[in-house]
Amino acid sequence: MIAHVAQAGEDRGRVVLHVCSPQPHALALLAAVKIAQAFQSEIESLFVEDVQLFDCAAFGFVREVSLSGRSSSKLSADSVAQSLKLAAQGARRELERLARSVDVPLRTRVVRDDPMQALRLACSEVGPWNVVALSEPFTGGFTPMLRTMFDAIEGTTGLILVGPRARRITGPIVIALEDMGRLPDLLRAGERLAALDDVGIVVLLVAPDAQRLHDMEMSARMALAGREKLRIDHAIVSREAPAVAAEALRRQAGGFVICQFGGAVVPDEGDLSPLAASLECPLLLVR
Amino acid sequence: MFFKRSQNDALVAKAAETAAVAAGAATPLTAEELRRVVDPASLGFASTNDLEPISGLIGQDRALKALEFGTSIKSHDYNIFVLGPPASGKTTAVRQQLAAKAAQGPTPHDWAYVYNFDAPNRPKALRLPHGRAKLLAQGMIGALTELRSVVPGVFEGDDYQARRRAIDEAFRSSQEQAFEAVNMKAQQQNIALLRTPTGFTMAPMHEGKVVKPEVFNALPENMRREVENKIEALQKELGDILSRVPKADKKRRAALTELNEEVARIAVHEALDELRAAFADVPEAISYLDAAEADLISNIALFLANDEENAVVRQPLDTAHDVRFRRYMVNVITSNGDDGQTGAPVIEEINPTYGNVVGRVEHIAQMGTLVTDFLLIKPGALHRANGGFLMLDVRKLLLSPFTWEALKRALKAQMIRIEQPMEAAGLISTQSLDPEPIPLDVRVVLFGDREMYYLLVAYDPDFARLFKVQADFDDSIARSEENDRAFARLVASIVKEHGLQPVDASGVARVIDEGARLADHRDKLSIEIGRIADIVREADHWAKAAGRSVTTRDDIERAVDEHLQRSDRLRDRSLETFEQKIVLVDVEGSKVGQINGLSVLQLGDFSFGRPSRITARVRLGSGRVTDIEREVKLGGPLHSKGVMILWGYLAGQFALDVPLALAATLVFEQSYGGVDGDSASSAELYALLSALSEIPIKQSFAVTGSVNQLGEVQAIGGVNEKIEGFFDVCKQRGLTKAQGVLIPKANVQHLMLRHDVVEAVKRGEFSVHAVSSINEGIEILTGVKAGSRGSDGRFPAGTINRLVEDKLRSFAERGRDFARKNGEDAKR
Repeated sequence: MIAHVAQAGEDRGRVVLHVCSPQPHALALLAAVKIAQAFQSEIESLFVEDVQLFDCAAFGFVREVSLSGRSSSKLSADSVAQSLKLAAQGARRELERLARSVDVPLRTRVVRDDPMQALRLACSEVGPWNVVALSEPFTGGFTPMLRTMFDAIEGTTGLILVGPRARRITGPIVIALEDMGRLPDLLRAGERLAALDDVGIVVLLVAPDAQRLHDMEMSARMALAGREKLRIDHAIVSREAPAVAAEALRRQAGGFVICQFGGAVVPDEGDLSPLAASLECPLLLVR
Repeated sequence: MFFKRSQNDALVAKAAETAAVAAGAATPLTAEELRRVVDPASLGFASTNDLEPISGLIGQDRALKALEFGTSIKSHDYNIFVLGPPASGKTTAVRQQLAAKAAQGPTPHDWAYVYNFDAPNRPKALRLPHGRAKLLAQGMIGALTELRSVVPGVFEGDDYQARRRAIDEAFRSSQEQAFEAVNMKAQQQNIALLRTPTGFTMAPMHEGKVVKPEVFNALPENMRREVENKIEALQKELGDILSRVPKADKKRRAALTELNEEVARIAVHEALDELRAAFADVPEAISYLDAAEADLISNIALFLANDEENAVVRQPLDTAHDVRFRRYMVNVITSNGDDGQTGAPVIEEINPTYGNVVGRVEHIAQMGTLVTDFLLIKPGALHRANGGFLMLDVRKLLLSPFTWEALKRALKAQMIRIEQPMEAAGLISTQSLDPEPIPLDVRVVLFGDREMYYLLVAYDPDFARLFKVQADFDDSIARSEENDRAFARLVASIVKEHGLQPVDASGVARVIDEGARLADHRDKLSIEIGRIADIVREADHWAKAAGRSVTTRDDIERAVDEHLQRSDRLRDRSLETFEQKIVLVDVEGSKVGQINGLSVLQLGDFSFGRPSRITARVRLGSGRVTDIEREVKLGGPLHSKGVMILWGYLAGQFALDVPLALAATLVFEQSYGGVDGDSASSAELYALLSALSEIPIKQSFAVTGSVNQLGEVQAIGGVNEKIEGFFDVCKQRGLTKAQGVLIPKANVQHLMLRHDVVEAVKRGEFSVHAVSSINEGIEILTGVKAGSRGSDGRFPAGTINRLVEDKLRSFAERGRDFARKNGEDAKR
């Protein structure tokens, strides 16, 4: 949705909040609501009860190790179902509160399925203007999953992610731009988000060398001339140095970062640990 | 009828006529004796412009010496009680004296309350050199403001963030590595590691998916056992890793805390460095700054937190009003030496409530609850006066609940302890602030009247112990050339203080006359400054109204008259009652057993005299004078005492060897209110003597004076008003040249009569007689000799005393005959 909707000038679309963690990250819920508010779309909350947990519970010998590691108990299907039900209720309540506060339509659903399969089905029902918001903070090893999502879920046009250190959703909207061709649609998405809180936009030009950066800056300055509350910054980032890109983003102290998947900032291969360790705001990742 | 007139009565009347020759021998007082008048020429100046205004009081040497002593002695219990009449200028004079004394004294320390980081409900009192408490308060605000801008930058800075990430990463990576190792190990063994809502679980896996139980159960038992064993081992391993997480996280937090403190310490130390240098000479301040620094370091997050309120108004609060930093503020309780003022403070608390004197802990309403902190401690007058002088009005102090006791407690303990009044009284025990007491070194100066002073001495044992200096201000001073001149300078200072036009010598002389009148004594001057100032100010008004640029005698005269006129509505009504014969008083002719007494009515600050008819009737009786006023409970104890004294006089004078077979009634005619005082006792005795002697009393006279058992006439109060009261009635009826007043000789010194009275006396239209004994008085009143006992022990024939004695003897004989006859009748 988002970037594409913005490009197409359409307002339709849907945010699918994929809740497959019993304790969703608070900022992930907020980010999902904010995107829906910016694009006047609805949220569909999809709480997935991982069917594999029930398979586990069917084994008599499988035990559940507590989060503290200090105790273990026999895993039962009933206790799993009860815990998941309570977790779903809690997540729904919180989401309803957030959605109501900004008048965003909300639908909630609880399914027992394979998480990825459930998401794929949910997106295919409406598609193609879906943005999937993940409730669980991403970690360094998340790249394959992201790739899978973009590859396998055709209805997904973007992903909303939060890192484990996410703590802020206010501040300028940072657009990490690696391809000048994507500027208009990313900018429109950024403007919609910026308009919500009346904040500025930072266009962070990212290129692997100074010459490319220089060329990009020239083009960007011409394209963005005369715009208010917009600032251009730049960073030289090679694909082999994700930590540099992560640091460049952190220093912007943004409230939301928009970038494309598969570039130097969020590569489609490799480790996301530097980004996870430094990103303090939500990330809107577009195809 | 109780008795018949004796056969001798005609003879008696004749003798009286003979003795009347002696009448008129008593000489009335001269006009000069009725009023002491200052000759303007004798004053030696033209107007008050020629005079140096006087500073302070005149003729109050005793009080001023006491003040000097009280303010000089170095002892906490030598507080001062200034007693004297109101509006005598004593407060102003004492204030001036204290200010002069205070200016020579050392400037006291400043005091401030600061947060007690060890015991938050016990704020610490900080003593600082004078003038520096505000500097500390401003310095703390400055340091905090600096920290507000510096700290977020430091903590957002690359250096800090890098080090923090390193700590986080060290923790995270070790955990993740361990967790990942287990995960990898599990995957290698085809075991899936899954997250449950409350923990983790493991299960056999095939091609990345958990094996269905029916598939697993189809495996041979040894294979199933093998998988179960693997899972069991992996679960144990996972449990070990997870159980290490809290410890590792604790270490991580400790490392982060250490890092935060290290970064914060530098910032905080730098922010407070300047302040620390400025207060290097004040160990208490340095100690406080150390504590504040330690607290700031451990609470550095205060400078990083987002303030919701600030966000709403989108305008950052200034540091001094930011609730996050309240504990680092300095509550300046006293600041001395500001604006270059030096010396000890002189504080006057005009509303001495408990809080205003001792200080208070205020509260603010927050979410329906009253809360407080050390910044809401408000100083009282004791704090402000600490090291100097505190002036308080004792009446207001005593009327304010709890305040007197609190003041005494503070003076005794030499400490100011701020407590809730109810808490101090032990009535409530709500936990509130318990501010550290502040040492007290103050000299309290209480102002009150004499009655209040003596009541306190009598009823409060602490009072005499704490207020050992009595500065007793007199309400009048003796007349002398020097004091007259000083009084004139006092008028000059009133003129200067109120910005009035000058008063010429005649005006000043008239003010001095009025001063003597206010003092009720021709040889004294009242120093009731308030009233004198009123006269001068009002005269200034009349002078200006008349277009004069100098206030003269006429203006002073008018001011006095106008003042009287404004207040004498009741006197006019009273005079009307005489004119309309509603109140019966004779001012001419003669009557037996009837006399004009004089009384004074006091209405606020105005008093006036008026005559009252007193009558006496006598008959044979058992020796009793009936005071009708007392019988109907309209007579006060002093009046009753006076009447009983008459009886003593009669018995001693006339009935030494015979029984006093007399019954007499005495009454104040047309008196419908209470009567008290003994100033009418001589008049009552004259009436009684007239009734007994049957010699009429001239109604052209009025009498005042008390009498003792020996027949001596004694001084009374309000003599001027009484004479003027009778004069007014006589003037209303028409002066006959025979009218006058009898006063005690001892009251001559008090005479300061109105000009019109003096003028009438000068013209011979009115007279004032001073008498020292009843005999003198009765002769003037009746024109008949009183008579002294001769060698035969008898009074000369025809004298009043002889007639009285004869009447009493005849009563005694008749009484005896009556008793005998009754006895015989009883026998028959």
